[in-house]
Amino acid sequence: MLNFLLNGLEVQVENGTTILEAARFYGFPIPTLCFMDGLSPYGACRLCVVEVADASGRTKLVSSCTYPVEEGLRVRTASARVVHARKMVIELLLATCPQSKIIQDLASAHNVRQQRFKQEYEDCILCGLCVRMCEEQMMAKAIGFANRGERRTIGTPFDLKSEECRTCGGCIYVCPACQLRCSFTNTESAICGGCANLAPPCIESHVFDDMMCYMEPCVACEIDKVINK
Amino acid sequence: MEQLVNLNEFVSFRQRILSEKKFLNGKITLTVSAGTCGQASGANDVIRIIKKYILKRSLQERIALKITGCQGFCEMEPFVLVEPGLHLYPKIHPDNIPRIVDAELNGHVDEGLLYKDPIALKTYTNQEEIPFFKKQNRLVLKMNQEIDPIRILDYIEVGGYSALEKVLQKSDPDWLISEIKASGLRGRGGAGFPTGRKWELARKFSLKARQSYIVCNADEGDPGAYMDRSLLEGNPHRIIEGMLIAGIAIGAKNGIIYVRSEYPLAIKHTMIALHQAEDSGLLGKNILNTGYDFEIQIVRGAGAFVCGEETALIRSIEGYRGEPRQRPPYPIEKGIDGFPTCINNVETLANVSIIINMGAEKYAQIGIPGNTGTKIFSLVGKIKNTGLVEVPLGTKINEVVYNIGGGAPGNSKVKAVQTGGPSGGCIPVSMFELPIDYESLNKVGSIMGSGGMIVMDENTCMVDVAKYFMKFLKEESCGKCFTCRKGTQRLYELLDDITRGTATMGHLDLLEELAIVVRDTSMCGLGQSAANPILSTMKYFRNEYEQHILNKKCDAFVCSNLVGAPCQSACPLGTEAWKYIAHIARGEYEEAYITIREANPFPSVCARVCDHPCEVKCKSGTSGGEAIAVRALKRFITDRTDPSIYKPKREYSKYKKDKVAVIGSGPAGLTAAHYLSLKGYKVSIFEAENNYGGMLTCAIPTYRLPKEVILAEISSILDDNISITCNTALGRDISVDGLLADGYSAVLLALGAHKSRPLEIENENVPGVLPSIEFLKSFNMKGQSQAKGRVGVIGGGNSAIDAARVALRQRDVQNVTILYRRTKEEMPAFAEEIEAAEQEGIEIKTLVTPLKISTSNGKLSGICCIKNELGDVDSSGRRKPVAIPGTEFALEFDTLIVAISEDSGKEVISAIHQSGIETKDNNTIKADPRTLQTSMKGVFAAGDVITGPNTVIQAIATGKRAALMIDRYLSGVPLEQPIEAKLPKDYIEPLEKTPEEDETSKRIETMRAAAEWRIRNFSEVEVSLSAEEAFREASRCLRCDLEFTTPKVCTKSEVREVMVNA
Repeated sequence: MLNFLLNGLEVQVENGTTILEAARFYGFPIPTLCFMDGLSPYGACRLCVVEVADASGRTKLVSSCTYPVEEGLRVRTASARVVHARKMVIELLLATCPQSKIIQDLASAHNVRQQRFKQEYEDCILCGLCVRMCEEQMMAKAIGFANRGERRTIGTPFDLKSEECRTCGGCIYVCPACQLRCSFTNTESAICGGCANLAPPCIESHVFDDMMCYMEPCVACEIDKVINK
Repeated sequence: MEQLVNLNEFVSFRQRILSEKKFLNGKITLTVSAGTCGQASGANDVIRIIKKYILKRSLQERIALKITGCQGFCEMEPFVLVEPGLHLYPKIHPDNIPRIVDAELNGHVDEGLLYKDPIALKTYTNQEEIPFFKKQNRLVLKMNQEIDPIRILDYIEVGGYSALEKVLQKSDPDWLISEIKASGLRGRGGAGFPTGRKWELARKFSLKARQSYIVCNADEGDPGAYMDRSLLEGNPHRIIEGMLIAGIAIGAKNGIIYVRSEYPLAIKHTMIALHQAEDSGLLGKNILNTGYDFEIQIVRGAGAFVCGEETALIRSIEGYRGEPRQRPPYPIEKGIDGFPTCINNVETLANVSIIINMGAEKYAQIGIPGNTGTKIFSLVGKIKNTGLVEVPLGTKINEVVYNIGGGAPGNSKVKAVQTGGPSGGCIPVSMFELPIDYESLNKVGSIMGSGGMIVMDENTCMVDVAKYFMKFLKEESCGKCFTCRKGTQRLYELLDDITRGTATMGHLDLLEELAIVVRDTSMCGLGQSAANPILSTMKYFRNEYEQHILNKKCDAFVCSNLVGAPCQSACPLGTEAWKYIAHIARGEYEEAYITIREANPFPSVCARVCDHPCEVKCKSGTSGGEAIAVRALKRFITDRTDPSIYKPKREYSKYKKDKVAVIGSGPAGLTAAHYLSLKGYKVSIFEAENNYGGMLTCAIPTYRLPKEVILAEISSILDDNISITCNTALGRDISVDGLLADGYSAVLLALGAHKSRPLEIENENVPGVLPSIEFLKSFNMKGQSQAKGRVGVIGGGNSAIDAARVALRQRDVQNVTILYRRTKEEMPAFAEEIEAAEQEGIEIKTLVTPLKISTSNGKLSGICCIKNELGDVDSSGRRKPVAIPGTEFALEFDTLIVAISEDSGKEVISAIHQSGIETKDNNTIKADPRTLQTSMKGVFAAGDVITGPNTVIQAIATGKRAALMIDRYLSGVPLEQPIEAKLPKDYIEPLEKTPEEDETSKRIETMRAAAEWRIRNFSEVEVSLSAEEAFREASRCLRCDLEFTTPKVCTKSEVREVMVNA
């Protein structure tokens, strides 16, 4: 058993437990995107960062899903540094993949109201859940990562139709980016309708702060157009 | 070579080799450095020719040839080093090889081909005396020049494998580890973890495990760093020996050299060395019957930067994608296939055998406590001596950059040095006193890294540097961490916006915020240090970022979207030089004149005396050729065009009732008056002298700028709206308050800088000592020749040269000498003026400081001076002149002209100060640099009175801006305007060039009158170009504007018309 300090609490966990597991066990919420029970932790999304201090008192941010608890470790799961970093990660996620309902909800929960980068509309945040699902649960290894840096993608080898793939759909099931996609302008199939209930923000910008949607062009305006057509 | 079966055999074998070597000593050996760098510069040709020549003359018995790896002096490749005398023949041409061989055979050296210091012009016979080598401590690198890397015997000859022998004889891993610990050796890969401690931990884990590894990390990916490659190429056996010793120390049986595929020569040499070591029984099972097993294999990396990170490297060796993983567990506990793996850098391993041979205690004395030993840096970028430099840790950056590297090439100044590659930071020149050690570099926001040292000069844009590294990182990030992948990409986007001039100050905040988050949240070293280039440049060069964002300017002329055509953006007036040059090439002289005149009301004046910043920044010049002679082309146009073809646009329709007073009728005052008059204001100019024109008429000599030219130019811009009152001085006849009370709505102070500064030494006020401006004025305005006999001029600026050349032309003058305290390269005067002065027979004594003026009978008799030498580099990047004690000497003069600097004079400035306008201590007026308004509303200032002595073009530029600002002030609109980059707009069709024209692209020489003739009169020295010459020069232009302009698109009807006509 290892003893360590979690947000000031003296706690005990078994050898080999990660900080994330320990924190969840003791009831401290840590947001994650690329972590899923039953799949090996990967540490890609950096949402689950926590601040840890070593014996000399120097602190650093580490991904709690991959960091094993050590004897005497001191951990803060929601220090100012952690929260600030998390918010920036969410801002980056919003700038990349704004349609994902999961990301929108994360932003909402963390009070991230705007993103300041050039808006992109990507379908994937490369969290790697699908790759691990395919390999570890479906035993198929049909998909994997290709290329590096900004050209990194997920796909089958050489992007050809894979013979390993059984089209089980496990990859789609776990995807945080495409599993629930906001189809904002189609009011029939809209997921939450949250944005449809808002007044157009360009007229009343103070209301914009309560929006959960981050689309460009202004979503509420778009919906307004559809409804009033 | 036969296999050695036991330790004794190995010992006696080594002894035999060492004793045989003594017989060979003294034979002339030509050593050619043929590492990758040498081969790229043509070392292979040199080797071929040497071989041929030796065979042709059958000199095999007398001369030996040795081919080595990189010896470090890469700037001078290909070179031949002749032993035993260590004569270095740099940048050798194959044709010169017989000369060298013949000279050396006769026991001489070929002086003409030997290495010469480019500054001191001293020839060095011995390589070790050359400053580049003398100031290094080449503990590791030295052996590269002594051995052929593919010959194990060469390595043994110079003492190789003696450390292994010692280790095997002792056979005590604990002693070995304690020895490395005592030496204080730290990892040379960048992070600086103590090697001894790493080995100790590794031993602990590897004793428990079934198997363990030692990995040599030769995945050197930093742009600009190549010391690992040079070590593997030039001395692979030393790395093998280091790995063997490490293997014995930690009890590992497997060694892996992880080297990138981009290093084919390193791989080849290492493979050969591995085979040799195996064949001779130094590698394999039961080495020399001592019971130790050790095998080494090479793993080639595919060249991903991130694979230099140890956990990614392990994944790569295992055959997976090179992706880092979370530490702990550290590789030392769980590495390759889960077995303990000790990873060391090439340079660290190269140091191991040295420590064993030398003894830990002695090694620990090199460098400074905590940072012992030497470190190899690859010194690249804007530096004279590019190459590998090995210095003890704790050496100052100054020492490396200036004393070993020789400073920046050309006349530019070093601005910063970037250490540690893409993960490192930039250190500004003001911090060059910093010792190079792991902690100091960390403290200032950089890292040691693998030892890349990129030197940057003033032509390097720091935002562009940050952008370059970010581009590298966004492509080389493995992409696993979201913040590293997206973060570097977003950081690049933000930097790109800044370099394009589309950014706001919000970008800067976001940049910093994001950079810190990327550093905090990334998993491996790549992401954690990715922010360093941005954070360090933002910390030390924030003004450059702000300059890009607020003023839309890139002072280094790098960011093309802000620079446009360099000639245009370099000109303070924004003259479209490219445009009139294009017109000249097309023979459209009137259009060319209009282009010049639209920007500049004094085209003929500037065609003669402008300091032409356009030529300094011209891309033809900065990209390796010679700059276009822009000023000569301007002269060509102004000489042959009638100014009346240009009709300035007047805004008479709305006649303004406001009156403006302009004090001073120099270029600044006249320009302002001209543009205010065009706007419809009534302008009154007040001039203190008896004639108008300011410095143009009273100081610039007529052989540079004839009187008629100035008068014609001035009369063309004077009109009914402008009145000039001469002999009216501020403070004496008029005051600012008085003018405002007299009904002037705005006042422009353009008084210039008409008072020479004193030397402030003894006897300065005796007769015979003249301030330069007074001397020039009395000659130009009153025709008095004050200089007599032997004339001395003190100073190095344009007014010093002017005074000297005017004095030379005066009747009673015998000779003229200029005294300057620095060297000729540092003289602020224009180079062509200095050259012309020398042609006319004026002597220039540099590196002297006047101490005292000597007198006889109350009159000047001479001057007492002291000699200077160039000392250490000061914070401005120039070497300080330092007086040499005991070198005082006397010079005799009949006239002494003091021309060290000018200002506006205390009396005038204090009069202005009394009116309630803020002034500065250096006798200038304080004015907002953007609006030119002084601390008093409605009172503006322009020209030398705000900047101190400056160029004509600057004065015109501030005058022009002052007119604009006064107009805005009187119209009641805000003074500040949004700034936009000056980019070329109009498309001018370029002429097609024939290939021959491209080849003969030498800059035109402007003709000058013969020196013997011109020193007797005041006629103009420079001669205008001919039409043919002008065409040739103009068609040399690279036309940087075409990148920004587009041809006019023809409408359909126009196309039809053309087709019908055809």
